[in-house]
Amino acid sequence: MSEYILELKGITKIFPGVKALDKVHFQLKKGEVHALMGENGAGKSTFIKIITGVHQAEEGEMFFNGEKTHFKTPRDARKMGIAAIYQHVTCYPDLTVTENIFLGHEEVSPKIKRILWKKMHKKAGTLLKEIGADFTEKTLMGSLSVAQQQIVEIAKALSMDAKLIIMDEPTAALTKRECEELYNIIDDLKEKDVSIIFISHKFEDMYRVASRVTVFRDSQYIGNWNVDEISSDDLIVSMVGRQIDQYFPKKKSKIGEEVLSVKGLSKTGLFKDVSFNLKRGEIIGITGLVGAGRTEVCQTLFGIMKKDEGTVSIDGKEVRIRCPKDSMNQGIGYLPEDRQKEGLVMEWDIGRNITLSNMDTYSTNGWINESVERSISGEFSNKVHIKAQTIYDLVSSLSGGNQQKVIVAKLLALNPNIIIMDEPTKGVDVGAKSAIYQIMEELVEKGCSIIMISSEMLEVLGMSDRIYVMRDGRISGMLNRNEATQENILELAMLNKSADVQEL
Amino acid sequence: MEKPKVLTHKEFSSVRYFLQWEWILLIIFILVNIMNASFSDNYLKFDGLMRASMIFLDKGFIVFPMALVIIMGDIDISVSSTVALSSVVMATVYNAGVPMGLAILICLGVGALCGLINGILVVKFKELAAVIITLSTMTLYRGIAYIILKNQSAGGFPKWFSELSWGFAWKIPYILIVFVFFAAIFTLVLHKTNFGRYVFAIGNNDIATRFSGINVDHIKIIVFTLVGVMASICAIFLSAKMMSTRPNVASGYELDVIAMVVLGGISTAGGKGKMIGVITAVFLLGFLQYGLGLINVQSQIIIIITGLLLILAVAIPNIQEMIKNFNKKREVNL
Repeated sequence: MSEYILELKGITKIFPGVKALDKVHFQLKKGEVHALMGENGAGKSTFIKIITGVHQAEEGEMFFNGEKTHFKTPRDARKMGIAAIYQHVTCYPDLTVTENIFLGHEEVSPKIKRILWKKMHKKAGTLLKEIGADFTEKTLMGSLSVAQQQIVEIAKALSMDAKLIIMDEPTAALTKRECEELYNIIDDLKEKDVSIIFISHKFEDMYRVASRVTVFRDSQYIGNWNVDEISSDDLIVSMVGRQIDQYFPKKKSKIGEEVLSVKGLSKTGLFKDVSFNLKRGEIIGITGLVGAGRTEVCQTLFGIMKKDEGTVSIDGKEVRIRCPKDSMNQGIGYLPEDRQKEGLVMEWDIGRNITLSNMDTYSTNGWINESVERSISGEFSNKVHIKAQTIYDLVSSLSGGNQQKVIVAKLLALNPNIIIMDEPTKGVDVGAKSAIYQIMEELVEKGCSIIMISSEMLEVLGMSDRIYVMRDGRISGMLNRNEATQENILELAMLNKSADVQEL
Repeated sequence: MEKPKVLTHKEFSSVRYFLQWEWILLIIFILVNIMNASFSDNYLKFDGLMRASMIFLDKGFIVFPMALVIIMGDIDISVSSTVALSSVVMATVYNAGVPMGLAILICLGVGALCGLINGILVVKFKELAAVIITLSTMTLYRGIAYIILKNQSAGGFPKWFSELSWGFAWKIPYILIVFVFFAAIFTLVLHKTNFGRYVFAIGNNDIATRFSGINVDHIKIIVFTLVGVMASICAIFLSAKMMSTRPNVASGYELDVIAMVVLGGISTAGGKGKMIGVITAVFLLGFLQYGLGLINVQSQIIIIITGLLLILAVAIPNIQEMIKNFNKKREVNL
């Protein structure tokens, strides 16, 4: 018997117009955690879909447990014990955890196919206990956090006796502490001889859980290494195919007078008494755990939500912001966190997406001036280096990184002075990441000011002049660039120093 | 390394161009006319065609704003009741001594009010689907019309009023002229203005539209109000055609109107479609029903044929998609 549980050789997959995979190889040992890395669009997702039987490869062979196999449908793969957990958990929020775990393979009585609830609940309960979940099997899925939902997905995989679990960016939406819990679960799984393919853009994930790493680039296999043999710099080079000299291009920027001042901003149940200020040419980072109220504060500032109390002043004058249009008129631009839901019209082309928030500029008395619109959207597409053939390419056909660039172009077209960026590099590959940092740097050089919400520690430390940390809807502290470290940020984000009971 | 630039023009593809639903509609439209011409020798004469158009164009007015509503991903099924209520109010105030001109303005006002109420309800109760809200206002408006007229007819309009639906200017019916006027306005508004662009954006992704600084609620209210206004214009022409009105007038119009919109290629999922297709569909369905009427086909059969056409309208885009994918695959293999 082969030492590999899964082996793929020379896999080629062609989609209409593109070669998504070009003769790639992959080998996974039993009980191994194997990281799969590469830029967005490198072919990782397609590769996973071939393993799980969603797509069929045009060429190549797959061996599972040493036997040559060929999955025609996801069902075939599931029967063999292959389970996949995707970045966006596909769950049924109005069903219980048990129902979610056993959906599609319920325990039924042999003859009349009655559902055996007691048996299912019991089995679900044991599974949850085994992987150390802090909720019960009868909880409603919708009331769980993203991290907890992921644990349910893992339980679901185990309930099907999965020998191989594929995790596609499981930590993208998780906080530091939740990641740590996930790592522990993965360690446990490893001991149970479950093999794991782990896809992530975060190096810390990879170094923490994986023992081997395989890199894809531009639909091709680049190489595989033992994790302890390769440095993150070398990995980046192998992923992007070039040296990224300055990952964080942050220079000492000229910081001017105060442009924005927020005082005592409150919204019942979400955040309380939030005050901060922003100076010209400055990048401030707002960080904290997911759910600390960072996004809510910024959406209130942008006019998506209404504040209960507090004042917002721009250039020293108090302003009233009741809707996004008001704040855009004040020169505020917002880059939303969820690009597919809040940022883009996915079925539209690149050009129309870029101009949507600024149509008044491309029109006279409400009539669209199409040639101006075309040339401006072309100009901004090239400014942020979107990889596409024409501005008529549909946004849904672009990779995640390029979609993010479209939103950045849309933001730049507004020509804002104050820019709020909510997780600007979430789910974005290394190349696009550094491009976005570069653009941020150019913006502050021009005199713009940026508020950056981010959970990624390196990004916060690397890009911000000052860092505000939030915890439970309040600002728990502010750190200057030179005094900020991962440790003191985490301390502010997680520890409740003052013991007083906080009411929201 | 010089990065490849994103181009601002695309190559013209004749396959893509002629695969558009609107071309297929045009072909069906021509087929319908050939069929009608074979039924009646007089059909293809100019006067005959003009008279035929006078019969169905009153509903056509509602089709334009209904297209906008469906592009936004909503629907308004209360239109027939709005037609009834506004025409009933017009007849009642006229019979109470209000001059006809003012009565017409009041009719428009009632229509606008009905639409405005729909719009505000849709915006305020986001958790309710527009179909449910307009279902309730459908019965509400119709009910008010019944209370006002108590299932009787009212009329006695001045003679000139009937000219609206039956009169000609140089052999062209007034109603057709008004229809073409609105067709031009709605086509331009939908495809050439910011407002039209926002309507498409809302239909595709209303959250992203809101994040783009566009007042989504505002636009929805305006579009629903437009439906009301155009329904009252339909009411004016319908009353002029019959020279009277009843509370049960125009029942079933909403189905015809929605059928015309869908047949015109507006996606029921929202966000897609062209006004030119909708205009073609109005004439297509109108002439088809007229032609089948010429050879005394039962009205039930006409409904069945309309239904079959709708199924075709829903199925064809999928077939087009298959053809496109097939072509793409062939390009790759070559």
